Amino acid sequence: MATIDSGGGHGGKKSVDQEIPLIPFIDLLFCCIMFLLATAVWNQLARISANQQVPGQPQNEDAIPPEERVRLMLQIQGSRYRLASSAGDSLDIPKNGEEYDIATLMEKLDERKRLEPNRRDIIVAPEDGVRYSDVVQAMDLVVGAGFPEMSLSDGASLM
Amino acid sequence: MPVHVPGKVLLHHIPLKFVRDKVAGGGKKNVDQSLPMVPFIDFLIVLVVFLIMNFAASGELVAQKASITMPSAANTETLEISPIISIDDRVVTLDGTRVADTQTLAQNAQMDPINSLIQTLEQQKRNWSILHPSEPFPAAVILQADVAVDFRVIKKVMFSAAQAGYSNISFAVNKTGGGGGEGGGE
Repeated sequence: MATIDSGGGHGGKKSVDQEIPLIPFIDLLFCCIMFLLATAVWNQLARISANQQVPGQPQNEDAIPPEERVRLMLQIQGSRYRLASSAGDSLDIPKNGEEYDIATLMEKLDERKRLEPNRRDIIVAPEDGVRYSDVVQAMDLVVGAGFPEMSLSDGASLM
Repeated sequence: MPVHVPGKVLLHHIPLKFVRDKVAGGGKKNVDQSLPMVPFIDFLIVLVVFLIMNFAASGELVAQKASITMPSAANTETLEISPIISIDDRVVTLDGTRVADTQTLAQNAQMDPINSLIQTLEQQKRNWSILHPSEPFPAAVILQADVAVDFRVIKKVMFSAAQAGYSNISFAVNKTGGGGGEGGGE
């Protein structure tokens, strides 16, 4: 056991040395380590959520159709991103060589967010042939830019 | 088992005492040893802190498969228990059971539903409503796909899941640095 030696106890004075019980402390640490090792999760997995209901469309036929509003879309095409809206405007962001131009997309999404700070919805619409990793990358950027109510849709169906 | 004080082992058979004492050592030495406890406890504390930092209360919901390299993302949410659809370069599985071939789905441009996937998901949906009668159905599935999978395959799986009543898709990703999303990061 460890002791704290105060250097006293001489000349008839009562010793004030203290012993710290280290063994129970070590036992406690070992129990903690065993528990944490048994419950450890080594891979940090998480999720990005998307729904398949395109905003602005009723969920069933009996429901009252919501007020018509401009839909914002991010199309992921084989050679570029296209940020478009149902109002008719569109902006192409071509690839930088083999890679998508993430920096420009982020910039344009931020601009769009500044123009419409209350907008939370966006439709991500990849085309056939786009790699899954590129889709997830775009969804990650979209959520990070402040559009958490993201829908994933077929690119062809929105044309 | 008791621990004995070690005696002389080597050179104890030499008949001359002064040689024996000179060579093998004559005096009695204290054999007590002090264990350095402080560095040992420091090490244990560092280990505990490291393990606490890795601790995840939600547990391991999705097992990482060798055939699937998942994409990484920063703006993520915590995983929740849902049926898991895995897509690698060969097969599509639902909770470990094969439901379709990836190559077949990738080659066919038609938006055909995956019937076995729909039937199994519908069965799970019915079971869920029986087991949780008072709770609303979450309509969520976890999709765990390889980075190189064509979006056409993902689209068909999503379409089939939607037909079975699962409209909320969670894409399983490896969490990277950065903050959580607005939906409640980890």
